[in-house]
Amino acid sequence: MSHPQKGKVAAGGKGAAKAKKAAGGKKSENDREDTLQAVILADSFETRFNPFTLETPRCLLPLANTPLIEYTLEFLAMAGVADIFIYCGAHTSAVQSYILSSKWHPSASAASPFNTLEIVKTTARSVGDALRDLDSRDLITGDFLLVHGDLVSNLPIDDALRNHRERRVKDKNAIMTMILRAGGLGEHRTKAKGITPVFVVDPGKNRCVHYEEMHPLQAHKYVDLDEELLKDHKDIEVRTDLIDCGIDICTPDVLALWAESFDYEVPRRHFLHGVLKDYELNGKTIHTEIVDDRYAARVFNLQSYDSVSKDVLGRWTYPLVPDSNLVAGQSYKFERGSLYKENDVMLARTCKAGKKTVLGKGTSVGAGSVVSNSIIGRDCQIGKNVTIKDAYIWDNVSIGDGSNVERAIIANEAVIGRSCKIQPGALISYKVGISDNTEIKPNQRITRAKRKRDDDSETEDEVPSDPSTVGSSGHGYEFRDAEEFSDDDEAAFHSSLIYSTQHLNLSSASISTLSSSISSADEPSGPRSRLSSFTSLSDDGDNEGFHHDAVQGLLDTLHEHGDFDSAKLEFMGLRLSNDATDHQIRRAIAVAFSKHISQLVDGDQKTEASKAAASAFATSGAVQFLKNVALSTGTEEDAVDFLRCLQKDAVHRGSGPLVLAALCQRLYEEEIVGEEAFLKWWEEAEGMGEDEDVEMKRVRGKTGVFVEWLREAESESESESGSDEESEDE
Amino acid sequence: MPSQQAGFAPNLGFYLKSLKAQPVESSIENLISLLKRRQITNSRPCAVATAHLLLQVVAKFRWTNVDKLIERIQDVGRRLIEAQPREMVVGNIVRRVLGMVRDEAKEERNDDASDSASNSQMGSPRQDHSDQGASHLGGPPPSFSPLRFSTTEDSDSTEANGDDVFGGKHQAASRPPLITSHTSYAPAGGLPPQKSMFQLLSANPSPASTPSGAQSPHNTSSLNASSLAHRITTSSKDLKAEVIEGIEEIVDELDQADDRIAAQSLEYIHSNEVILTHSSSKSVQKFLLEAAKKRKFTVIIAESYPNDHEATHKSVTRSISTDAEGADELSTPKFSKSLSDAGITVILMTDATIFAIMSRVNKVILATHAVIANGGLIAAAGARIIAKAARVHRTPVIVVSGVYKLSPQYPFEFESLIEYGDPGNIVRYQDGALVENLEVDNPVYDYVPPDLVDLYITNMIVADHYKSEDINFDKPELQ
Repeated sequence: MSHPQKGKVAAGGKGAAKAKKAAGGKKSENDREDTLQAVILADSFETRFNPFTLETPRCLLPLANTPLIEYTLEFLAMAGVADIFIYCGAHTSAVQSYILSSKWHPSASAASPFNTLEIVKTTARSVGDALRDLDSRDLITGDFLLVHGDLVSNLPIDDALRNHRERRVKDKNAIMTMILRAGGLGEHRTKAKGITPVFVVDPGKNRCVHYEEMHPLQAHKYVDLDEELLKDHKDIEVRTDLIDCGIDICTPDVLALWAESFDYEVPRRHFLHGVLKDYELNGKTIHTEIVDDRYAARVFNLQSYDSVSKDVLGRWTYPLVPDSNLVAGQSYKFERGSLYKENDVMLARTCKAGKKTVLGKGTSVGAGSVVSNSIIGRDCQIGKNVTIKDAYIWDNVSIGDGSNVERAIIANEAVIGRSCKIQPGALISYKVGISDNTEIKPNQRITRAKRKRDDDSETEDEVPSDPSTVGSSGHGYEFRDAEEFSDDDEAAFHSSLIYSTQHLNLSSASISTLSSSISSADEPSGPRSRLSSFTSLSDDGDNEGFHHDAVQGLLDTLHEHGDFDSAKLEFMGLRLSNDATDHQIRRAIAVAFSKHISQLVDGDQKTEASKAAASAFATSGAVQFLKNVALSTGTEEDAVDFLRCLQKDAVHRGSGPLVLAALCQRLYEEEIVGEEAFLKWWEEAEGMGEDEDVEMKRVRGKTGVFVEWLREAESESESESGSDEESEDE
Repeated sequence: MPSQQAGFAPNLGFYLKSLKAQPVESSIENLISLLKRRQITNSRPCAVATAHLLLQVVAKFRWTNVDKLIERIQDVGRRLIEAQPREMVVGNIVRRVLGMVRDEAKEERNDDASDSASNSQMGSPRQDHSDQGASHLGGPPPSFSPLRFSTTEDSDSTEANGDDVFGGKHQAASRPPLITSHTSYAPAGGLPPQKSMFQLLSANPSPASTPSGAQSPHNTSSLNASSLAHRITTSSKDLKAEVIEGIEEIVDELDQADDRIAAQSLEYIHSNEVILTHSSSKSVQKFLLEAAKKRKFTVIIAESYPNDHEATHKSVTRSISTDAEGADELSTPKFSKSLSDAGITVILMTDATIFAIMSRVNKVILATHAVIANGGLIAAAGARIIAKAARVHRTPVIVVSGVYKLSPQYPFEFESLIEYGDPGNIVRYQDGALVENLEVDNPVYDYVPPDLVDLYITNMIVADHYKSEDINFDKPELQ
């Protein structure tokens, strides 16, 4: 080969030998002697696209009538990648047969721009497993691109590659460069909803120094930064605006790091977070290339499927648009207003195929039908007077006359009867049949996939159709996956087409594991009022800052057995600067005390609740503080409110009932809350009857004994002797 | 290719380098992908890539007869056109190569016939083949064809030659609406010339020097002499070598087109004129730079936001070749001087001011992406506004265009020839509200109807490069 000067960064001997483009070069001054390798993670080892991914791998799901992996491969071809390794998890054979019949496989097609394309079969159950497997195979010879099989991007990566190499020459420890797309500060449809990735970046060095993910239900919106970071870096940007398109330029060291840590499973939350945290230990740095030009995004859940589809139709992904006809055999033509039509589309004279619509070959739309903002695949039969809006309809679907489809996904070979109504968010999987006059409820997921038997054997059973869902002559049943009921709210975010937090169980325990145990604002008092409770959450939202700071301050005082007099000064200062209401103050105090005590109880020492409470109240000035600040007016209502705050907070604590009981007892003994208030609080709670939240009821259970005792004490006008009785309950 | 930075992204330079090493089929598919991915865009790079590819196709094709070769080229051409129908030069180059192959085949047949007495053993089998090839060729032209077609060679050469002089004179001397030069292939065409490309080239080494009538006799004689010599050599040469030579001449022509156009600039740009242009076309820049060597004048450049404004800005001040990509229009290292360096008074302005400034403009010079069969232009977006404004002020509009951009196609909806680009050039993708709520259209080209154009300047005399049977070769249903 005719490339004399070999860069020091070069991948290795293999590269030069393989450079197929180099043969004709005479005295080329560019150093293209090494080739670029890429690894595609075709399976993300998640279930976010269920029920569709029960039958098809995610990377073959059609986006604007083109399988997702085509976009990824086009991107890699655009970047000039020579060797590709595809990692598949589920449905490997489907991916394999697709790739072999496509233009991409070098041995099967002359059109392939790649030198090698290998589909690696693995038994991996996570991205981490796949990468550890890759490390053990010794396929990677130099720097490589790590992308997901659901990437859609038209980004030229030459600049990022060059920067990466320059850094690498200077510093061997610069192991990875992440390409991130700036998404602007406002709302953006393609930005990750639900989980917000937070990148802390040193803009001078383009170095990522910290990574965290934020959960929408997380009460506080704070990132904990190591103070060392602030010392080491002159400038730091905390960015939540970035669209993480999952394009990483990696050195082989990255694989070594994956191999070292067996507990890493996902690239960002585990690997990135972990490596950055262990910077002191391993000295590896990870860099960012933030681009604000061109397009890059991942289709990582159904909402992003929706938004990326819109981006493709809006031509933001140009030239990866339908009328580029990237896949052999496509014949899309672009018409003004983003109507993309393939040849042989039959439109009735009176039908309306509106804007931002794709119509595949052989599809016919009947008279009087209206199609807008929708993508319809090949050979679909749309009947008369059908309304299709914002919907994704894949191939060979037939929709009967007079039906109405809105914002739903209908997979291949599904049959929708006449006058059906498919409500927003519905997902109708392969070959499902819906009989006439059926209404599919919002967010309902219907499949016909065979289900594995419970006893983990390989046999799969046909699941009987559920007439209440698909109608009397339909085929299919409502899909529910087991995991979703195990309080995995994260899964619920991703598996619905329409982003919403309304249906999520706010009081579930998973929140407190995600957030650092500072409770959210007003809890819903019952399932029916969740929507309204959400508004109250956002009302309080402005003062989340106050709440967090206040709780943190009080906790510090309690932990260190400090002086409440100074804490009070600080607290009142905070209150004034944030203009906090009395209720918020009480809430903050309640949370702080409850948290402190539960920490003692659940902590290593396993302190008894009553002793823990006693020690908290023994902190100098604590009693005074509670009397003066928490219950400043001294009215009964305030006290009841305070108790309610305590109760709500205790819901999240593992030992909530005990803590609440101990606190109540303490409050009574220190004469902070009078017995009238206790009784009133209790009666209110009892009075709610059926409306009371199960959790709330559970948490106050233990306190019942104490209240009983209070009642008796009141009636018998006796006082002190009952406390022994109470402590036996613990 | 120059100005390569260390990178992996394929472009024209990489593609040309890869051609020799790769099997032809891969090269074809490779170019198709590059066209689809818009990694080779704009007329000249597309034309260069197509010509080089066809060179390989012909060189590596094991042919038995001319028909097979023509079929093969048509097949490749069809696939390329399908990949990116809006790059019309791809089809033009394919048609020209086809036309040249047909000419060669015919010439060979004629020669064989005349020489049949001397080398009958060798000649007869070949003649069979070429007869098959010529059977298409000799047939009557389809009635709808915009081309006139003549089969008599002798009258051709004189007629064509006459046309050369005629066209050349007009091109050079007349400014007012002159359609002769381009209508020679349009339905209204006058003389039916029949000449192959490289003959034209050899006959007119510099069209810029042809305007004077005094030169024409010399031209005529030289053409006759050269064509005679040519014909003598042809019989002994392999047809394949001829075709390859012909394609190489097309490649050379592509390379020199802009210089040849520029050589005529002094005829059109006079001292102290105010010239309006837009976008960063290399053809126009060279044209202006050439004139600037002798004359002082003012150029107003509309920046052609949003698709080309950066390149336009650079063309005014900085040398362009250093950081331009291989696929860019402005890529050759020769073109490094900026307009202002050349002593031209340059005024850069926004597109919105075009109409306001038009009253002071003496001439409008436009570049084009393609010229379609009715004389209309597919040019960078904004061209139509300029041409319209110029019409209102009766300002002459001159179009500079290499002959390779002249397309025999005449689409019924011009919309289909307009490429819609990345809306991100207009609205930042970061602006979520706009992205969500707006439909952003970014047409890259404009259609300029022929009546808005006063004069076309090309690199050579417009002769019949395209054969009538090749006009719609990519659309079998029309043939």
